[in-house]
Amino acid sequence: MGWFFKVNRKKIAVISGKGGVGKTSLVASLASIAHKDQDINLIILDCDVDAPNLALILPPKSEEDVLTQDTFTTKKATFLEEKCIQCKQCYDDHFCEFNALNWDENNNIPVIDYLACEGCAACRVLCPEDAFEINPVKSGEIITYETDAGFPLIYGKTKLGSTTSGLLVSEVKQHATNLKEFDEANLILIDGPPGIGCPVIATVSGLDYIVAITEPTPSGLHDMKRAIEMVDQFNIPFGIVINKADLKSASQKQLNKFIEKAGFEILGRINFDLSIPEAMSYAKPVVDYAPESAASQAINKIYARLKLILSKL
Amino acid sequence: MVIIGIPTFGNLGLKEVMNNRFGRCASFTFVTIENNEIVEVKSVANDAAGAMGGAGIQAAQIIGNNGATEVIVGNLGPNASNSLNAVNIKIYQSQGGSLTVKELIDLRLSGKLQVLTASNVGAHAGMGGGRGGGMGGGRGMGGGGQGRQF
Amino acid sequence: MVEPKIFCVTGGKGGTGKTLVAVNLAIMFKNRGYKVLLIDGDVENPNTFLLLNAKLKNKTEVLYFLPKIIEEKCTKCGLCAENCETHALLYIKDSYPIPISTVCSGCKLCYKICPTDAIEPDLKVIGWTYTASAFNIDLFLGELKPAEARSAVIVNKLMENLENIIKTEPEKYDIVILDTAPGAHCDVEELINSADFVVPVTEPTRFGKVDLLRIIELIDLLKRKYKAIVNRSSLLGYKEKFLKELEEKDIEILGDIPLDEEIVSSYCQGIPLMEESSKFDRDGAGYKSFEKIFENLIKWGGFSK
Repeated sequence: MGWFFKVNRKKIAVISGKGGVGKTSLVASLASIAHKDQDINLIILDCDVDAPNLALILPPKSEEDVLTQDTFTTKKATFLEEKCIQCKQCYDDHFCEFNALNWDENNNIPVIDYLACEGCAACRVLCPEDAFEINPVKSGEIITYETDAGFPLIYGKTKLGSTTSGLLVSEVKQHATNLKEFDEANLILIDGPPGIGCPVIATVSGLDYIVAITEPTPSGLHDMKRAIEMVDQFNIPFGIVINKADLKSASQKQLNKFIEKAGFEILGRINFDLSIPEAMSYAKPVVDYAPESAASQAINKIYARLKLILSKL
Repeated sequence: MVIIGIPTFGNLGLKEVMNNRFGRCASFTFVTIENNEIVEVKSVANDAAGAMGGAGIQAAQIIGNNGATEVIVGNLGPNASNSLNAVNIKIYQSQGGSLTVKELIDLRLSGKLQVLTASNVGAHAGMGGGRGGGMGGGRGMGGGGQGRQF
Repeated sequence: MVEPKIFCVTGGKGGTGKTLVAVNLAIMFKNRGYKVLLIDGDVENPNTFLLLNAKLKNKTEVLYFLPKIIEEKCTKCGLCAENCETHALLYIKDSYPIPISTVCSGCKLCYKICPTDAIEPDLKVIGWTYTASAFNIDLFLGELKPAEARSAVIVNKLMENLENIIKTEPEKYDIVILDTAPGAHCDVEELINSADFVVPVTEPTRFGKVDLLRIIELIDLLKRKYKAIVNRSSLLGYKEKFLKELEEKDIEILGDIPLDEEIVSSYCQGIPLMEESSKFDRDGAGYKSFEKIFENLIKWGGFSK
């Protein structure tokens, strides 16, 4: 049983701003290392609910034990035709600010654009005949299982067109507290979504530490700056991992200068290493696929650094 | 006279342990103080606990509607923090650990709690924003997690 | 009068090369004499201007509704707060309601139902739009203010600007290229929905496949035509199987782009690989692959020029 972080459970996420810079690969490898660490009881969450991919590298031990639960974090309007007196006020007076309320001239009734509806209830409240209802609808799924390595993994997946990523992320985090392993867990590691909007904000909220991964390209640098600006607003400490660190580019210098000037913590650098895409094509964490590779050694160092930082938080 | 609101788990009064979550705690315990003495204790269920969004704001409403002018909290999101500040409710930060309402009130009365000015965690519920328009009925919440804190 | 043809470059997964493809498609159309508008709809992380080394101009605030309480008229009845679905109005009995901007959906219900007209529309800045020109193509770009969440409003604004142009000057552009954010959420959905042709960019990995299938599900849901591009096609291992799987699922591809140093270098210099005035190797693997993709695209779109 681990002594490490025992009093204080540490919750961390890997984010990046820009997509495709290696969040999921890093999380899978960190998870594999942490799981083998005697000090750590681990829970893994994939909060990239638009494109959850971590499960591909960390598959379930047994398909039968995979638990899938529907979520209802979205509300949508329903039209009740029997109550409608076809006064057309809802359309003429523009009840809906989201243009989700259209008029069907053939049948002389309102039609709700399901994708555009935000469930704000303006139609329900304003309709003099109570011909609208607001109801929760399925917004996605939360999938929970034990990975073949033996730690619990939870991920969320939005239903297409449900417009609810942020709330679903909060649900995924909430689900972690329902696990029997939760009380003993001292490290919760989250694979974050790309971007800096609603789902990322929901991911980083309440966390203890953020790992921001980037690459030395103009967009990698630009997006990381924006991600850090967002994280900073929530006063969460963070460290930076530079992927493809040996890429020859002018951004290399700019990135280093930016980090140095700002005094940010660099957790480590991972040079381009063919074992990473190879591990990816075999759907394995690189630290398991090629433990001796330069990339694996770099990630092990990053883990050690991260552990030290977390132990002092 | 001052009324202090504390997020808790149930209705055991002064024996209740503080809940680190504010917006989504199960109950609030309100303690009325007069001349440094506890004169009244009451529990109020937090109807906002299962809300999918805006829980912090609704919780602040419960605090205000019960006449409290101070709260003692663990974690506080920006919505809750903004709301409490907007209605001039003073926010004290607990030092952590599993302290009871009684212990927290004693700390408060002996001046050992710090005043919190800004939120100490990010928004909890996806900010109800671009992608999070609707607020569901909280059906996806597991029952087992009620007492646990993320 | 001919309205412009709209292409949407998307991909589900992040970092597959959406922006690279969008920018180079725009450049190739321009090289052929088309008038091109590029719209960067990845408002959380707009990157097109970096690849074009373009200077952003005409910074315009994107404003969003927020209720403002007129205290002289407010009777403190609480009706607004009671009906606010997102709880964006904080109401404590016998006090004025207080708007909480971060959770307001902008539905204006409070403004519409206040019995004493004590609520007026107020506006807050949630981001910006810009325009730019580089290499003879025009660029519209949106930027979400960090820590704001309503990215969809900024995407809407960009599309509104496009609609206005189509309305007032339908022949200003022949081709419009939309670059989307990663994912399959509402921002992406709106852009796909506006397009005549959708080009999902993927890569031959398991991640790439899963995310491609997901975005295609969305494209099908919106009933749009699509053909995919496979980027980094020289990646080891999975490629043959990947292409076979696409074929089995009847997913047509416009072509593939191999790993190429020149692509990385063009990207870092801010000069598009396909720019006619550039000094990149016309026989390079990346260059050739883009040419082939473009020929297929022209055929698919039925362009004669």
